[in-house]
Order: sequence, then structure tokens, then C-alpha cells
Amino acid sequence: MIRIYRQLLVAQVQAAAQYRIQAVLWMLFSIIRPVIFLAAWTAVATAQGGSVGGYSASDFAAYYIALTIVGHLTTAWNSFEFEFEIRQGRLSPKLLRPLHPLHYSVVENLVWKVTTFLPLMLVCFVIALTFQVTWNVEWWHLALFVPSIILAAALSFMIGWVVATATFWLQRINTVNTLLQRTSFIFAGQIAPISLMPTALQVISYSLPFAYILAVPAEILRGGVTLERGLLYLVGQAVWLGLSLITFRLAWRAGLREFSAVGA
Amino acid sequence: MDAPVVDVRALRKVYRVTERETGLAATFRSLVRRRYRDVLAVDGITFKIDPGEVVGFLGPNGAGKTTTLKMLSGLLYPTGGEATVLGHVPWRRDGSFLRGMTLLMGNRSQLVWDIPAADSFLVLKEIYAVPESQYRRTHDELVELLELQPLLHKPVRGLSLGERMKVEFAAGLLHSPRVAFLDEPTLGLDVSMQGRIRRFVGDYNRRSGATILLTSHYMDDVVALCRRVIVIHHGVLLYDGALADLAERMAPYKRIGVTLRGAPRDLSAFGEVVSSDENRATIHVPRAQAAERTARLVRELGDQIADISVEDPPIEEVIDRVFASERPLAEVTV
Repeated sequence: MIRIYRQLLVAQVQAAAQYRIQAVLWMLFSIIRPVIFLAAWTAVATAQGGSVGGYSASDFAAYYIALTIVGHLTTAWNSFEFEFEIRQGRLSPKLLRPLHPLHYSVVENLVWKVTTFLPLMLVCFVIALTFQVTWNVEWWHLALFVPSIILAAALSFMIGWVVATATFWLQRINTVNTLLQRTSFIFAGQIAPISLMPTALQVISYSLPFAYILAVPAEILRGGVTLERGLLYLVGQAVWLGLSLITFRLAWRAGLREFSAVGA
Repeated sequence: MDAPVVDVRALRKVYRVTERETGLAATFRSLVRRRYRDVLAVDGITFKIDPGEVVGFLGPNGAGKTTTLKMLSGLLYPTGGEATVLGHVPWRRDGSFLRGMTLLMGNRSQLVWDIPAADSFLVLKEIYAVPESQYRRTHDELVELLELQPLLHKPVRGLSLGERMKVEFAAGLLHSPRVAFLDEPTLGLDVSMQGRIRRFVGDYNRRSGATILLTSHYMDDVVALCRRVIVIHHGVLLYDGALADLAERMAPYKRIGVTLRGAPRDLSAFGEVVSSDENRATIHVPRAQAAERTARLVRELGDQIADISVEDPPIEEVIDRVFASERPLAEVTV
């Protein structure tokens, strides 16, 4: 499998190299939303005498910069791509090979993230300077962040695949994707840090998987959690990842029975 | 006798499709109550293919050929019946099954468009776990047979259709599959490229001993490559046997082509005149009487004949008759 991944990586880097500008534009596009919220919340905090619900302007800046980095590292577009592949008949050639189609998108996902990470960090550095961010991070925050971001990326990716399998039944899943994006927008800590939301929304947020993809690793990265809470979050991430893996396995098996290989 | 490579028993596939009438009102009605219709694509077909055979799989559009190939390559689950390919149930998609077969479709690409084919080949080498020495040997052989050298290092998106088909063939065969399903492999290609692909498939079968099941609308492909054909129509198997026997059974006549010197004349006394164009005529005569009728023509018309030929009807015409019958050939009366 290592040899397969190595060769797939080489091929994907070659393909990605031809679309460098598009990759950077996507990256810039992905940071617009958190930067808007960052500007809004720092303005509110300043107007209210320096803080909102315990978050200072600098805390907001740290949170949204962390959220931008986490958002970049956990983004997954495989459900959009999967629908396109089925409709274009591109899934069939992959199904004919002794390698699960999931592996191609793992590589594609990794290559995009790695190749656009450096420019992203430069942009984040400029934003951090602009908003005069201070980081209150312990060493164990960084130690927790590593497994947390891996679990979050894997969870985001697997949820993408679970949604993707819906294409076997629904043919078009744009609306499902939009619904998930909207839900994630509310409950993943994109509008505001989850601790600033009403209690009922906080309960819902931590009962759904979306916060474990964005808010949890972002809070860990900015140093906004205790060690105990950080570990609890990791367990939550692992549980959701396990559930999504099981769901994907079952849905994939059932979906292939429905697959009609149209246009292929 | 070796076990068959492909063993199909009463294979059946029904697609469930949504159906609605045209118009806005029908669209709104379909939002509330959806209507489905079952489409029988393959209706209990049974056949076997032995190792090394090249079999033509014929039928008009919508006959169920591609659906059958998709079931045999593991892309589709059947609604009923059984099949094994290389001893595996295809739709379980075991790794060893997938490593032993290929499905090549004339209108579909399995290569990465943005990179040269040579790089896609290396990816396929690893996916199929082809040992280095075997890969090198097969690669070089395919490059030579298909004259690929000038194409290997160009991005696939920059290749012409014919060039891309050659590269697709190589990609599909790099892992030396023991069975190849070829679905319209020459679709859209010019006559010269069709001929090359055809020669290549024949060569590949002889060199590797691979079993090949081929669909094509170009009868030249079938005549050049297949001694045996399987004909299906509306999902039902109509004929399974030698291509040579098909003409004899389905077209109980021979065609005599006569070119006369001088003025045209009525030839209906010799057989059914199916075409007549100035001094050239084509006559259908019962197969058993072909020799006698030809001799009579020569005897009676003598030196008025500039040219004469006796031949089987074209294979397209024979196949058309099979399709038109829409019944298994055993029941067909000719």
C-alpha cells in the first residue's frame, strides 16, 4: 500500500502542478469567511469595552486564525466530486481496479492541503500581525492538537464519503451537501465560538459531529481548553470517526448494489 | 478440458427507472407520487466461454450487451442468475478477480487526463502489484504492438481519440489480464485505426492466450477476430455458435452478382432480383441451388456476362435477420 500511495502521490502532484493558480485561489476563497467573522467579533469586543463572554479581541483573532488553519486542514470535497464522478461515468474505471476509490481522494486531498499550506500560513501570519494576536498555548495544547487535527480531518473526510454514498440512491446530492454545510456553519463554531452560544445550542453542537471537525481542534490550537476537556474532545472525535467509518462501510456495500454504472 | 473462464447461468438484470409524462403538471405530480417502471435489460442468458476464445457479443443498441459486460466485470449486481469469471463471482469484486480481468470501453477513459500516460502506467503497476520484470516485459510489448513510444510522455488530454484509445488499451492490459471484456473498442475511430486496434486484439489473444469477449457495431471487427458469436436482443440470447454457421442458418440464400455487357435484361427467372442498376444486378437464390442457378446463368447468357460472383450475404444483413426474428434461433424457421 505504501508503494501505491507513493506512486499516486507523484501522479497527483504532477496533476496539481498544472493548476497552481486555481489551488491558491481556492485556498484564499476558503479564508474569506473566517476573516469576516474575525473582523466582526473583534469590532464587537472592542465596542463592548474589550471582551464578549470572556473572549477578548485578541482571543477572537486567535480563535478565527486557528479556525482558518483547521478549516484548511480538515476540508473535504469528496462528496461533491463523487457525484460528478458517477454522473460522468468516472467511478466505473476505479471500481474495476483492486484499490478502493477512497484512496484516490485521500491522496488528492493530502496533496492540495500540503501544496497550499505554506501560502495559507503566510496569510494567517499577516492576519495575526494585523490583529495583534497573543497565543496562550501550553505544550500539551500542541500535543493534543496533533491527534485532534488528524481525527478531525479523517472525520470530515469520512462524513464526506458517507454523504457521497447517498449518490447511489439520490443521483444528485447537492442539496444534501448544502444542508450539511449550513448545519456545520451554525454548529461547528463558525459563526461564533461555541461557548458564546446559548446552552441549548452548545448541547446540540457537541452532540453533532461538526464541532469535532472545526471548533474542537481550533479551541485546542488557540489554547482555549483544559487538559481534561481536551482529552474528552478527543474521545468525542474518535467516537464520531468510528461511527462514520461503520456507516460508510455499510452504506458503500449497500450502495454498490444500487449502482447502475450509468454512462460508463 | 479446462474449466470455462466465463460461466453464465440464467443471468438477469432489471433496472428500476422513474417515469413521468411531459409537462409542468406531470412534474408536480411526480414530486408527490413517483412512478417507477421495471426495465428488463438482460433476461436469463446462459453461456460459457473457454480459455483463449475470442467471442463476439452482438446485438442492437439496448440489447443488454453492455449490461452483461458490466455484470461480468463486477460493476453491476444482477437481479437474478449466477456467473463466475475466472472462478470468481464478479460482483463480489475480490482483489484476485479484479487483478485477472479488464473491461475496456471505447468511449471511457481510465487514465489521468493531466499527466502523461507513462506516469499513469506506473500508478497502475503499483495498484495491480505487477512485478518489475513482468511489468517491463508487458510494457515493452504493448508499446511495440501499439506503436506507443511517441505518445507516452504527452499529457493524455493532448492525445487524439485514436491515440488515446491505443494508450487506454495498454493501460487496461498492463497487468496481463487473463480475461478481457472489450466494449466497442473501435468506436469513433477512423478505418485505419480500427484496423490497427483489430490486429492488436488478435495479436494479443495469440500471444497471451487471454480470453476475450468483444462487443462491436462494426462487423469487420467481429469477422476479423471472432469465430464464435453470441447474439442477444431485448436481453434474450438468440444465437450462440460459430459465426460461419450463422449465415447458413439465418440466410438461406446466396447472392449472385452479375454484370452484363450491353442492354440490361430481366433476370427474375434465375432468382429474386434484389437490386438492379443499369447492367449490374444482384440475385438471391436458395443456398442449395446456388451452383445450379449459376451454371444456368452462364449457360443461358453466355458471353453477355462481363462478370459474375457468388457469395454469402454480408454479415450485417445476416445479423439484421437475427435481430428481426427476435426469437432464439432454434425456433426460427427460415
